Amino acid sequence: MASEVIYEPIEEFGLIKKKVSKALFSKIGIVGCGLVGQNIARVASFYGIEVVFIEVSEDKIRDAYRNIEKILDHRIEHWGLTQSEKRAILSRIKGSLDYKDLAGCDFVVEAIRAVNRGGKIKERKKIFQKVEQVVDRDCIIGTNSTTIIITELSSEMKYKDRCVSFHFSVSSREARIMEVVKGLYTSDESYAKVCQFVKLINRKIIPVEESAGLVSVRLFVVLLNEACEILMEGVASMEDIDATMKIGQGMRLGPFEVADKMGLDKIVRWMENIYAEFGDVHFKPSPIIKRLVRAKQLGMSTGKGFYEYDEEGNRILNSANNSTIC
Amino acid sequence: MLTHNLNENIEGMKILVLNCGSSSIKYQLFNMDGQLVVAKGGVEKLGMKGSFLKHHHEDGRQIVFEGEILDHKSGIEYILGVLTSQKYGCLENLEEIDAVGHRVVHGGEYFHDSELITDEVIEALVKCTDLAPLHNPPNLKGINAMEELIPGIPQVGVFDTAFHQTMEPQSYMYGIPYVLYEKYKIRRYGFHGTSHRYVTKRACELLGRDFESQRIISCHLGNGASVAAVKDGKSFDTSMGFTPLEGLVMGTRSGDLDIGVVTYIMEKEELGMKSASTLFNKHSGMLGLSGISSDMREIEEAKAKGNERAKMALDIYNYRVKKYIGSYIAAMGGLDILILTGGIGENADTTRFGVASGLEFLGIHLDENKNKGFRSEGVISTDDSPVKIMVVPTNEELMIALDTEKKVREFAKS
Repeated sequence: MASEVIYEPIEEFGLIKKKVSKALFSKIGIVGCGLVGQNIARVASFYGIEVVFIEVSEDKIRDAYRNIEKILDHRIEHWGLTQSEKRAILSRIKGSLDYKDLAGCDFVVEAIRAVNRGGKIKERKKIFQKVEQVVDRDCIIGTNSTTIIITELSSEMKYKDRCVSFHFSVSSREARIMEVVKGLYTSDESYAKVCQFVKLINRKIIPVEESAGLVSVRLFVVLLNEACEILMEGVASMEDIDATMKIGQGMRLGPFEVADKMGLDKIVRWMENIYAEFGDVHFKPSPIIKRLVRAKQLGMSTGKGFYEYDEEGNRILNSANNSTIC
Repeated sequence: MLTHNLNENIEGMKILVLNCGSSSIKYQLFNMDGQLVVAKGGVEKLGMKGSFLKHHHEDGRQIVFEGEILDHKSGIEYILGVLTSQKYGCLENLEEIDAVGHRVVHGGEYFHDSELITDEVIEALVKCTDLAPLHNPPNLKGINAMEELIPGIPQVGVFDTAFHQTMEPQSYMYGIPYVLYEKYKIRRYGFHGTSHRYVTKRACELLGRDFESQRIISCHLGNGASVAAVKDGKSFDTSMGFTPLEGLVMGTRSGDLDIGVVTYIMEKEELGMKSASTLFNKHSGMLGLSGISSDMREIEEAKAKGNERAKMALDIYNYRVKKYIGSYIAAMGGLDILILTGGIGENADTTRFGVASGLEFLGIHLDENKNKGFRSEGVISTDDSPVKIMVVPTNEELMIALDTEKKVREFAKS
């Protein structure tokens, strides 16, 4: 008798026999699990949320999983996490090829990478519609894109009020902020729910009006372009420009270091999109950045960008890329 | 508040003891007539997927209630629901619960004793939140939820820090600018107070001695561990400080550490505040030293197989406890009773031996035969040992229930 264990559904035993609603954000979905998708998955799971991510091939799923594991291992090596926490985080993250696995999600984020602006919007619209077919009515659908306008993206949805846009910082994985954008159609309820999600993953909400580049990207691309100008004019060396911003302005990384970390191809796409929106030449990609992208020197991911990196992604000392200065 | 039917003469008070953590709620229902535990259990994974309530019935059955438990209020609601259910309950209705006792982690300098919860007490508790940002908010949630579910029920807060509030400035002040104490109340508070208070009183009860005139050292050795010096019924000093990180080497906490080490490691390993805190709270202690586990049993096993680091870790553990015992004997000017409690103190005879051996010159004579395999309550020193060495299993829940009963009766009388 002593060892007998009986299982019961708890709903029968509440004091007030009300319908119990399920925990909000107990499960979220991510479509496209590149760097940003991996970060969202890892952070959400860290805070106890189940995550399903959709990728296009088994290989991509494996890659995403491996990368998440790598970051967690790095955190353990640097004392920020324990092995058991890592196991718990990984156990909550599942990869899938099938959109149907998004069923039951409270929130689905699109975080794909696409090549050009036109194709990107079309592709994202398609994803939004595919997601809408499998999720419940109250599920929020969001995009992590900064240069795509959410109103445009949601225009062909059945329920436009559930669409939001938010931006997860790419330059610093642990930066505790998130820009959240309300589109023309977004309902207050959906917006409030996303804010709740952001709070749940311990980020500060920066409410932003619908505008290409939001705050973070728009300011950063101008900073980087101007840094490139200074470099081209021979005013100061790359390292010294970075050092000035780091030591002088208290930035954790200098503009060239951030750019290498984010990926120059992505930055060029951002710049082109923001330029297309505002038409201001300040946003136009500097020739230096374009030259590096053409040479496939995209930054940390390819081992070379403004600086050079070893296989572990550590910057090689005195490795400023001289081909940037003509 | 406090509209409940209070009667100081009530017999066999039924008291619910709650320990609300950030994602768990533990409960025990006491019938104070005989101090019996009528039912106990806990909610786990609160607010997460897979949350459940595990209830231990009086007859030995265990019932696991599965389903979404969103927050402390719904967790407590289910606990009350189970306790009053026809199928598994032990109460006819909620009115049978006479009072609720809460474990509260940090009472700051406000609380020297357990307190009947009033609006003023809640206000003071909110002020203490800064000092225990992880622990106090769930404690408060539990208090508020209970008030909502059974309006007017008497509730008592029993603080982990309260017992140590009798410490003098010589014990609780750090050697840092006084202005920091004035500004932020940075000082040593000590924890495990309810446990130290229970075992020291209990030991005196068992020995038939006057609690108010004894010099006692109580070693609470569990996953978290602390030593307290209790003189004349009052906490005189204790090893945990501003946070539970100070003092003994624990399962995963470093214990005493040169602050120079902290800043040096932070610089060398490029650590932020959070990672540094994780390093010293979760990666250190016995786990970090042995590289095996934070569990003493596993480290003992490894030592038995010849693992040198396991042996070193265990030596360090015992040595640190011994150092504290020695220093507290000096501080109190002698010792009458040495108590071991907590999971390790109650079960690990090798640790007890490691801690007490070599202290014969201080009048501490362990009886090795009695100590070996001793797993209950009683004396493990030799009959002629000037200092009584005792194992006293801790029972914080009972202490909370007793305090709650006392406070409620006092209030009813007033």
